[in-house]
Amino acid sequence: MFVGPRMKRDLITVTPGATLEEAARLLTAHRIHHLPVVEEGNRLAGIVSDTDLRNATLDGTFGGAERGDSGRPVTVGEIMTRDLVTLSPGDTLDDAMLVLSRQRIGALPVVEGGRLVGIVTKADILTALLSTLDIEGLGVRIEVVLPREMKEVARLVAVLADLDVEVRSFVLAPHGAAGYAAFVRVATIDVASVRDRLRGKGFSVGELSDFYEG
Amino acid sequence: MTVDTTAVGGFGEPLPERDILEGFDRLIAANRLFGADLNSSNLKKSGKGTPFLVRRHPSHHHMISLWRDLFANRVSPQGLIDALAPEVLGLSHATGLLLFGKERILYDCDIVRGAEAVGHLTLAFYREREPVFRFLPFPRRPGRRIVYIEGISLSAQSTGYASSLFRHYYRLFHGLGFHRFRLKASLNVGKYYWAKEGFDCEDRVQFGEMRENLLTLVRRLGLPVEEQEVRRLNHANMVAAFRRDLPIPVYRNADGYYATVRDSSHTEEFRFPLGKAFLLCSDPWDGYKVIYTDTPRRTGFIWSERFLEHEPRPGHPESSKRLEALFAAIREEGMRESLIFLEPYTPATESLHAVHDPAYLDAFRDAAARGDRHFAVRDCAISEGSYEAALLAAGGVMAGIDAVLSGRSDNAFCAVRPPGHHAGRSSAMGFCFVNNVAAGARYARSAYGVERIYILDWDVHHGNGTQALFDEDPLTFFCSIHEHPSFCYPGTGRRLEKGAGAGRGTTLNIPLPPHSGDREMIEAFEREVVPSIEAFRPDLILLSAGFDAHRDDPIAGLECTEDAYVHMTRRVLELADRHCEGRVVSVLEGGYRTESLVSSAIAHIKTLQGREGSPCSSARG
Repeated sequence: MFVGPRMKRDLITVTPGATLEEAARLLTAHRIHHLPVVEEGNRLAGIVSDTDLRNATLDGTFGGAERGDSGRPVTVGEIMTRDLVTLSPGDTLDDAMLVLSRQRIGALPVVEGGRLVGIVTKADILTALLSTLDIEGLGVRIEVVLPREMKEVARLVAVLADLDVEVRSFVLAPHGAAGYAAFVRVATIDVASVRDRLRGKGFSVGELSDFYEG
Repeated sequence: MTVDTTAVGGFGEPLPERDILEGFDRLIAANRLFGADLNSSNLKKSGKGTPFLVRRHPSHHHMISLWRDLFANRVSPQGLIDALAPEVLGLSHATGLLLFGKERILYDCDIVRGAEAVGHLTLAFYREREPVFRFLPFPRRPGRRIVYIEGISLSAQSTGYASSLFRHYYRLFHGLGFHRFRLKASLNVGKYYWAKEGFDCEDRVQFGEMRENLLTLVRRLGLPVEEQEVRRLNHANMVAAFRRDLPIPVYRNADGYYATVRDSSHTEEFRFPLGKAFLLCSDPWDGYKVIYTDTPRRTGFIWSERFLEHEPRPGHPESSKRLEALFAAIREEGMRESLIFLEPYTPATESLHAVHDPAYLDAFRDAAARGDRHFAVRDCAISEGSYEAALLAAGGVMAGIDAVLSGRSDNAFCAVRPPGHHAGRSSAMGFCFVNNVAAGARYARSAYGVERIYILDWDVHHGNGTQALFDEDPLTFFCSIHEHPSFCYPGTGRRLEKGAGAGRGTTLNIPLPPHSGDREMIEAFEREVVPSIEAFRPDLILLSAGFDAHRDDPIAGLECTEDAYVHMTRRVLELADRHCEGRVVSVLEGGYRTESLVSSAIAHIKTLQGREGSPCSSARG
């Protein structure tokens, strides 16, 4: 999955000359946490977050207090992060997830030819994950533990097909050294008989105790 | 399943009047039956003195008519004396007397350990008289039957006796069809003791004053107690248990009375937890505790053989055997005489348009007519008769609402199928096609102008269909207790779903983790459902009563028993009494193991009738 189709395109931005107050108002009004800072021609100059704003307005303790006429920063340009990690629309959501997780940041501007074209935040990633797993959709999740063999996976799929049960999502994850865990979200109220049927076919269907240990 | 009355004397059929009269004579001959008048000059404030004046017994005619009215002749005079005097903790009753007043019967005895008298007990049995017209004092009609605890005094070494005795009395008077205990909590210990035993203030104004006084005390002593904590209290029992962690000093005088300030007479200092200390020092208050009775409520039972004509494919969990078995059990339990049987009717399709799209209903009708094997999803298996049965199920709830709102019955149980609570405006799922409970709620509003409706859904699955239909309706409160959506169909009903728009706050979802049982269910019910009903003050309570949270039911992972259903039913009735004259319409939803469905539903229905065995285990709320 590429970043392009998943990123947010209608962006709220500020210029480096905007005051901190203006920036704070924008954050509050739109209920967001990051503002890309752009110069003429939509060239990305930096990014300012609500954390930056908070630190800048706290008295003394932070370095920012040294700057400006009154001893405090006044404009966004003074406090923004210039040393940016950015994505291009051709990067993938995997890239975005890795960067967000490793660098412990909240938002990644997407830049194409030096111009800002979008942004990807942690919230967008969560939304993508929710829809991939179909967590909001109607259904129940069944956990099946399999040996790490595609033949077993194929057998599982065949049993599900045989049951004529609607599968909302199907995630196969590594489990232990030599296993798979299949997370199957099925849309039926009679999930007990689906479980029974799978067990009858020799599959190991998870119980609550498995979660506690996990 | 059966009511356990054997332990307290086995009250069944009325005894012949002749036997009762002979019983009077035997007691008179033994000097154990007299006449009595209340001693109006006795203020009882000190708890001393005689509460009544004894005289010769009144006429047999008077005695037998009073006996018939209060005890329905289901116990003999000697039988009553025996049942009132169990041996508990080594204590028993001596010289138990029956005293016949104008409108009441009194029981008076000494409490003894062996030959040594250690206390005294006086009870009065009478019937309240309620005005026929609320604004006129007369005429009056007979109302609730009351056990008035005139007084119980005990020496200090008999701790625990009164609790055990009243637990016994609870069962006894439950079996005899009495409605309430009443008393005046006025003695030093009594003011705290009765609250601890689950008695509440009879008068809500008096309770409001009690709460204000507590707040005043908290402020005067500058205690670390939030005002909100005090405002949340809504039962004397909650006051008794309030802030056990916070001891405050109280001062006792020579008569054993307590005060929160030290003065010339109150000198001996004690430290008690805040709630206890406060009640010990409080003004006297009028207490009551509800006793549920054998047959005080008329319960409607909506049922039709036509519900069996919805026939899903063989092996489908929602089979017509469910209802067949339930109806057979109703017959076997001998409940046919005590229930008011009501016929459901097929409502005009237009009356269902408030909950379902016309096109959806048409599609369902056509699918059934065509002979399709399922509609919309594979779960929703159908037969030719499914459409008619589904309409009839909604009409069954409407019939229940008619009965309750017209006063033909006090409450009603609608034994309908197919179930309804998953059905949305145009979606069939989870064995549901027409949302019966939602159709009933809309009908109650349009036909009877019922304003505030509380829907409680204790089916093990979240009632997503009902929730969606009333999401934005601030006058319909939807509350669902179910197995957590991460483990259970349909995967909705998380805590964060609280309603939308104007209806934000009138949806309450309580997910329980898998393997939760009665304890978790009842705790969640008491902690969250009860206060939400109290706060919402409904004009009608509807139950989406599925019984698939039972531990024997294979469909999901909760492990409740009949006890949880009995408890919740009883408490819902209690709240309905307080807010909407007892109007409860219960609608069958799930429950897929026949045995547990039948035993749970029967226990539920018996409780709706007010006749399920054990006393209410909780006094909270």
